[in-house]
Amino acid sequence: MIVRRLTRTALLVLAATVVVFAATEALPGDAASLREAGRASPEQVAQAREQLGLDQPVVVRYLRWLSGLLQGDLGSSLSSGRPVSDLLGQRLPATASLVAVALGTTALLTVAGLIVTQLRRGRGGMLAAGLAAVPQAVYAAALGALLSATLGWLPAVSLLPPGGNPWQDPRTLVLPALTLALPSAAYASTLLRGVLTDTLRRPHVVDAYRRGLPPMLVLLRHVRPFLVVPALQVLALTAGWLAAGTALVETVYGLPGLGGLLVSAVAVRDIPVVQGAALMPVVTVLLGMLLADLAAAAVHRTGRPATVRSARTVESSS
Amino acid sequence: MLTPVRSRLARRGALPLAIAALLLAGCGTDTTTGGSTDEPGTPVDGGTLRYVVPGSPATASNDPHGGLGNESDLMRFALTYDVLTVPGADGTPQPRLAQTWEANQSLDRWTFHLREDATFTDGEPVLAKDVLYSLTRIADKAAENYGRLADFDMAAASAPDDHTVVLATRAPMAEAPKALESISFVVPEGSTDFAEPVGGSGPFRVTETDAQTAVLLRNDDWWGERPHLDRIEIRAVADPQARAAAVTSGQADVAGSVSPAAVKAAEAGGDVQVVRRKGVTEYPIIMRLDSAPFDDPRVREAFRLATDRQALVDTVFLGYGQIANDLPTPYDPSYPQDLTQRTRDLDRAKELLEEAGHADGLKLTLHTTTSYPGMDTAATLWARQLAEVGVEVDVKVEPADTYWTAIYAKKDFYVGYYGGISFPDLVRVGLLAASPTNETAWRNASFDAEFNAAMGILDPAERNSKLARIQQDLWRDGGYVVWGVGDGLDLTSPGVHGLPDGPGFQRMFIERAWKTR
Repeated sequence: MIVRRLTRTALLVLAATVVVFAATEALPGDAASLREAGRASPEQVAQAREQLGLDQPVVVRYLRWLSGLLQGDLGSSLSSGRPVSDLLGQRLPATASLVAVALGTTALLTVAGLIVTQLRRGRGGMLAAGLAAVPQAVYAAALGALLSATLGWLPAVSLLPPGGNPWQDPRTLVLPALTLALPSAAYASTLLRGVLTDTLRRPHVVDAYRRGLPPMLVLLRHVRPFLVVPALQVLALTAGWLAAGTALVETVYGLPGLGGLLVSAVAVRDIPVVQGAALMPVVTVLLGMLLADLAAAAVHRTGRPATVRSARTVESSS
Repeated sequence: MLTPVRSRLARRGALPLAIAALLLAGCGTDTTTGGSTDEPGTPVDGGTLRYVVPGSPATASNDPHGGLGNESDLMRFALTYDVLTVPGADGTPQPRLAQTWEANQSLDRWTFHLREDATFTDGEPVLAKDVLYSLTRIADKAAENYGRLADFDMAAASAPDDHTVVLATRAPMAEAPKALESISFVVPEGSTDFAEPVGGSGPFRVTETDAQTAVLLRNDDWWGERPHLDRIEIRAVADPQARAAAVTSGQADVAGSVSPAAVKAAEAGGDVQVVRRKGVTEYPIIMRLDSAPFDDPRVREAFRLATDRQALVDTVFLGYGQIANDLPTPYDPSYPQDLTQRTRDLDRAKELLEEAGHADGLKLTLHTTTSYPGMDTAATLWARQLAEVGVEVDVKVEPADTYWTAIYAKKDFYVGYYGGISFPDLVRVGLLAASPTNETAWRNASFDAEFNAAMGILDPAERNSKLARIQQDLWRDGGYVVWGVGDGLDLTSPGVHGLPDGPGFQRMFIERAWKTR
């Protein structure tokens, strides 16, 4: 079963390379034409294209890129000549920290949101759905105005201390992470509320309530096990969402991460950088989903006492 | 953004984007070096200056001879390497590593005398061989840097002694010292690995760099006047809004190149200073002389007379700029100062259109884009102004992505862009019959002849008066509506002084800045 999941992830990664490659192919103009625009004759553009290997057929270029990938070689930037892996490596810490903090915050806010709406008997569901629909740019503006400009608690812009380690000044991560986490927590809790409602209707939960157990205890002991698996899946999905959101958030807060790199690389059609920076989050999400899958399977296998039915499902499916 | 620099730019034509970032060709503002942040009292020694600069991570590099596509790198290079010449406040090149220079009779051999007290950070002296190595390396990397030194024949260059360099140009070139301004970064001979910053001989030295920040410490062994600052932190931030916010929130001392809107907001908020660099942004209306209706001089004149210049400056640049007079380089030392300013005259404009046979009006499509803030606004407002003389201009906002390849120099009616290009460069790029990007289709044999004659004159005053003459023709008959020129805008906290506000890349040379405590 693990082998099947690994194979599936590998195939998805392969599919992702095709999609990323095709997407960069679809961008209008290439590095040669943009670089030479207005300054060079068509012959010179053709020559530049040849130098950059852009004159080769699509399939050849794709296979060349893929074989490089398999050897861990992402190629070099067309504009600066630096290895793409260096560029990604330099900017990975900021994005990874941001996504990790945002994911943690999302998880906490989601749980808190579920508990609050449940204790308030479902009120707030509409609010969560509404919050999920607000664009990140609006959160950025509102949070910045409140927490930075008005209250002065947080830096308006995420200028990292020299060395580029955001953890030396964790405050730089708060606004970007909140901007990412608020809408995704609203989204996640909207998804999970349905599962929660179903679970609460299960006989043993109804029974537990009837026996007069404190609501918190019921939630933790009888409801939680049913939520773990869907929660892990939602969280894995959210991680992809968060990774995609970093392009905007990093730009708004000036955080030196992969999202900003991607945006600037697209602008100059620095295709190897675009491909590397786009593929990285995709692969991360796929690996995250694989881990979530494996974790969920592990949870199933340990078999919680209260989850008789789900334990049975696992037996039949494995 | 792309930052190609000078000469091949000048020869082959220029992507406006390019000229934009580079600005180095521009010259002759009426301000003085290190002037605009006012300077109360004596400079204070010490302290750290935190400067946020536009940064484009995809083009970030430690190589001072490459594309220079990233402003934050460029500032670091300007502070840590010596260059042969730097831009002066009056638009003439000033000595830096080169103390003096002279040319032969035919202006194609230039001898530069280097200062003898410059040393690299490792203690080795800066010699002619290092200069030749660096300039040759720039010439060899033409594909990356847009042929920045293409006008020089580096194979014919020589070093008669340790402190003398003789450079050959491919044609007579009165402006050779200017072509070397700002970008002739000198590294030790034989430097090939730029994965990490290579030591230079400038006023500061790099201590650490990462994805966002470069930390520079004063180089106490520098030959020049001792800088006041101990330390400069250069941070790359791509978003202009974020740069402005860094200063207003007190996280940075200076924000380079912010938008007029951000400056307005910050000024309203209080405690900031604004450095205004003149002659930086221009969105001229381009009309091709070889296509109807612009082939009729009366139509072009009518369009220029229908233009309300002040309204455009006030709306597009929010007042941070000056009105212009249909010549793209009003800041150039060769600008004809005695030229009459065209003003709005709707009656005359209507008359001209009637004479040209457009009494029943005209319908046209004007292309624009959103590459630079306000380009679209400029088109919309100008279209409204033309409606008052019966011309219906339909504004088409094109995607910024492909504007410079699909529209620029291809369509016959669009909003262009210039950023501080010099008049001679403008002519080479776009106004000679053989120019690669002759966007207005200006073909005028006597103009070409007079220009070439002028460029063979060594004396700047004499040369400029010849260049001023041909600009009269361009003003009368050309295909431009240049309604205004916007300022380059930097935002600083109140204690910052001594920042440069001169032309082009001069803004990168901030070694004389100081900060009150």
